[in-house]
Parts: sequence; C-alpha cells; structure tokens
Amino acid sequence: MKTCHSHDELIHIYLDGDATKEQKEELYAHLQSCPSCREHLQELKKSIAFIQSSSHIEAPEGFTAGVMAKLPKTKKTAKWKL
Amino acid sequence: MDSLTNRLIADIKQGDEQAFAELVDLYKDKVYQVAYRMVGHVHEAQDIAQEAFLRAYTNLDKFDTTRKFSTWLFRITTNVSIDRLRKRKPDMHLQDAVKGMEEVTYESQLAATDELPEDQVVKMELQEWIQSEINQLPIKYRTAIVLKYLEDLSLKEISEIMDMPVATVKTRIHRGREALRKRMRHL
Repeated sequence: MKTCHSHDELIHIYLDGDATKEQKEELYAHLQSCPSCREHLQELKKSIAFIQSSSHIEAPEGFTAGVMAKLPKTKKTAKWKL
Repeated sequence: MDSLTNRLIADIKQGDEQAFAELVDLYKDKVYQVAYRMVGHVHEAQDIAQEAFLRAYTNLDKFDTTRKFSTWLFRITTNVSIDRLRKRKPDMHLQDAVKGMEEVTYESQLAATDELPEDQVVKMELQEWIQSEINQLPIKYRTAIVLKYLEDLSLKEISEIMDMPVATVKTRIHRGREALRKRMRHL
C-alpha cells in the first residue's frame, strides 16, 4: 500500500471535532479511495481509545495529613508561642 | 467557580488551616492522578502532589478567585512534574517507572472492586501498559495528551494550564497522537 500524507492535517482537525461540513465531506470522499489514510485514521482512533481506557487512581492513604504536616508555620502561631 | 472552593479559599486566607485540609481532600485525587500520569511513579507522584499543594498554599494570594481553582492547581502540578522529569537521571527512569506502576495498579485494583482475580490481572497489565506508553511520550506532548485524554479537559482549559495558545496545544495533541500511533500501530 502506498503511503499517503495528503490529508494528515485534516485527519487531526477531524479528530479534534473542528472539521467543517465541507472539510468532512472532502475527508470522507478521500477516505473512500485511499486505504493509507483510512488506516492512518483507524490507528489514531485506536491509540486514543487505548489511552482513554486507563482507570482513575486515587491519592494514597494519609495524603492530606502528609501535606498538613509540611505546612509552613504561620506568623500568627509564632506570635502565640511568644 | 464553585462556592465551596471559594468559601474554603476565603477561610484559608484568614489563617484557617482546617479549611486548607478540606481543600486538599477535595482536590487530592485529581492532583495525584495528574502527577502520576506525568511521572509514572507512585512515590514521586505523591511527592509532587504534596509539593503542588504546598505551593498553592504559600501562593494562594496570587490566585485570581474569578478563575477556576482546579486550572490553577493543575498548572502548578504539571509545572512541578515537568521540573522533576527534567532533573531525573535518564538511566533511573525506566526501572523506577515500572516498579512504581506495579504498585499503583495493584493498590488501586485492590481498593476498587469485587471483580474476579483473573479480570484484575488483565486489567492491571493493561493499566501498566497504558502508563508505559504515556511514559514514552516526550514531555511536551505528554502534558497535552494527559490533560486532554486522561483528565478530559477542554482545549481552553488546557491552554490556560500550559500557558500557551489553543493552537499550540492542538499541535502538541496532534503530535502526541501521532507518537502514540507510531508505537502502537503494529500491535
């Protein structure tokens, strides 16, 4: 298969959801006849789906206490101590 | 901006440390997740997330309360993450990342569900694999890809966090997508 780069930019505009109606029509028409660009788009979609399948993670136990223990001492506290 | 965050920030400025603890509780998972996705290492992510909150605390007067707090906090978090990545010794990086990943996915899976153990194993491997692909991305594309596809933020918000025009963010997302594709296309 011959590698085609003629629509690379448009493919990304399309993936961003920024393609106008005309741009979409142009892209769809090109994809009909170009297996290279079809594959390119398909691979990009697969990569995005893969990255998006990652789980949410949570902060470890005791995280907030750890932050609070490192807070700089306020001037107010210092005065109280005197 | 939401009123709870606003109220907490006002209280913190009055010297109320408990209000800051509440603010940390509210945002810790988001901040930790961004840090982890950026560096791929649990201990380092915890360190970065803590530092991000400490910087937020000491610089709270500089935060413009008409803006979204999470945007400002994410900006601090990504900046701290990028600083760490740049300081990292290149030969340490891969091993550490792998070690860190096993840990986080194991812990998060344990906490998560009542899935069958086999399902958990498959999922853990997938999660490690995803993070290892993210770790391979150049830093400047990584930030954009993490914020866009893992945090699901708008381009406008990403442009504020990265402090660059939307057009530049788009270019980085395009290149990041291409970099991911090139690594994954033969699978």
